[in-house]
Amino acid sequence: MAFLECRRVTKRFGALEAVRNFSFALRPGEILGLIGPNGSGKTTLFNLIAGLYTPDEGEILFQEKSIVHIPPHEICRLGIAKTSQITMPFGTMSVYENILVAALYGQNLGMSKAHVAAERILTFVDLHKQRDEPAGKIPVPSRRRLELGRALATGAKVLLLDEVMAGLTPVEIEQALLLLKRLSTQTTLILVEHVMQAVMGISDRVLVIHHGEKIAEGTPTEVAGRPEVIEAYLGKRYT
Amino acid sequence: MLMRRAGLNGILLPLLILGAILLLLPLLGIEGYRLRLLSLLFMWVALAGCWNLMSGSTGYIDFGPVAYFGVGSYCTALFMIKGGVPFLLSVFIAGWVCAALSLAIGLSTLRLQGAYFAIATFAAAEALKQVVLEGDRVLGIDFLGGAHGLTLPSPPSGIFFYYVMLFLMGLVVSLTAVIQKSKLGYGLRAIRDAEQAAELTGVPTLQIKVRAYILSSSLIGCIGGVEAYWLTYIIPDDVFNVMRTIQMVIMTLLGGMGTILGPVIGASFLTLISEFLGAKFVYDYLIFVGLVIVVVILLMPQGIIGTLVKKRGKSSWLF
Repeated sequence: MAFLECRRVTKRFGALEAVRNFSFALRPGEILGLIGPNGSGKTTLFNLIAGLYTPDEGEILFQEKSIVHIPPHEICRLGIAKTSQITMPFGTMSVYENILVAALYGQNLGMSKAHVAAERILTFVDLHKQRDEPAGKIPVPSRRRLELGRALATGAKVLLLDEVMAGLTPVEIEQALLLLKRLSTQTTLILVEHVMQAVMGISDRVLVIHHGEKIAEGTPTEVAGRPEVIEAYLGKRYT
Repeated sequence: MLMRRAGLNGILLPLLILGAILLLLPLLGIEGYRLRLLSLLFMWVALAGCWNLMSGSTGYIDFGPVAYFGVGSYCTALFMIKGGVPFLLSVFIAGWVCAALSLAIGLSTLRLQGAYFAIATFAAAEALKQVVLEGDRVLGIDFLGGAHGLTLPSPPSGIFFYYVMLFLMGLVVSLTAVIQKSKLGYGLRAIRDAEQAAELTGVPTLQIKVRAYILSSSLIGCIGGVEAYWLTYIIPDDVFNVMRTIQMVIMTLLGGMGTILGPVIGASFLTLISEFLGAKFVYDYLIFVGLVIVVVILLMPQGIIGTLVKKRGKSSWLF
């Protein structure tokens, strides 16, 4: 049974088709990698699923129900949370309060239950030391973890992670991968990632998107050998 | 967390003592001009507090709160004159009328961002003023009184209004404190910091913005109703005067936006300084008031409370 499914989804911005006739199905519990060159439509696809954009054509189903035309906060409450490529913390609020807001509203909890949930997530993403610092003033790796923690605190069943590893050092990437591994035992993940070794190492399945279209799908090793994938990344000369 | 609790308790006691003193003042023989000045001060603290409740916590600059002040005044006046409804009940109904009106205006304007929201609310306030000014003439009736305004029944003593304004001030300040640590308060601050991220985190952004707007507007309406009865005579050019909006904004900015005590400090400061300078320089005191505002904003860009808190280091409960 598909958990989250896109059926022939198309999104246009003027004459540009950012996502064209795109279909895929997500199985519960898997880690799906979504890769493709810059501007290939990965982020647009995420925004379509999260409800920030409405598809011009096609259908998006979550647990068998259409989520097209549902506002983003309700999609979040259904169980789909997205992190952004450019982190958007609630800057004047503390790290802890950022996670608290997600627990309060994402899971629609009362104050005392939300505090319990937020403490748990804070430990999970290992931000105890920075809990009272304003979220706008913590360094980038912590921000990424906060972004993850906030998405997780909404009680998400599916996490859409848009380049959570961008700008991290190799050591930090190792740590992030460990965190994602632990995460994947609880939720289903879709990763958009440029750090190839990371996405190839962790994903169960990989989709390759190019000019808004799916050009390959399969296990990481299958996909990496495909000539059309190499062409999309490196050009014809290298195939 | 512990520090924060201590901070709140540390300030709560002086506030309670201050409240008790204010309750007792009329019994200790304060009367006439001073009683009136204090009542006026309470009113402005309450008004600035209402504006802060909406704009301070969401970052949406409401430039039309005077609309509800005016509507509240007129509703109260009309209920009392035409309907013979008792004063407090009239004020109560006026608050609900403002709530309904702000639901309609809020749902349409709170989809706008930044300056556009400010312009839309400003336009709504000006439009309402024109409706009250010209309504009678256009419809050929004698109901709103047009530019001549309305006269209310003669009011009780100044002590009555002192207590009503004190109550309203206490209500607004404690509401602000309660909301700040509530689910609603966290949602509003999330909107102020990053609205799209809030929406993606499950915060029903439009819905809670509208809730804050309705709360703020209906309270402003009630205050308007009380002032109408206090002054006994209202005209559109006064109760819908944009200067009232500007004063709420400046008071809150002076004190510190989005803080509990900001509007209290800002409104008290500006009311007293205007009164003091008004007595000293009868004709040109506004020049000096302007100078004082400029100096305070330059020295304390986050407002009086905001800057003090920042200097002491960490963000505290005042935020």
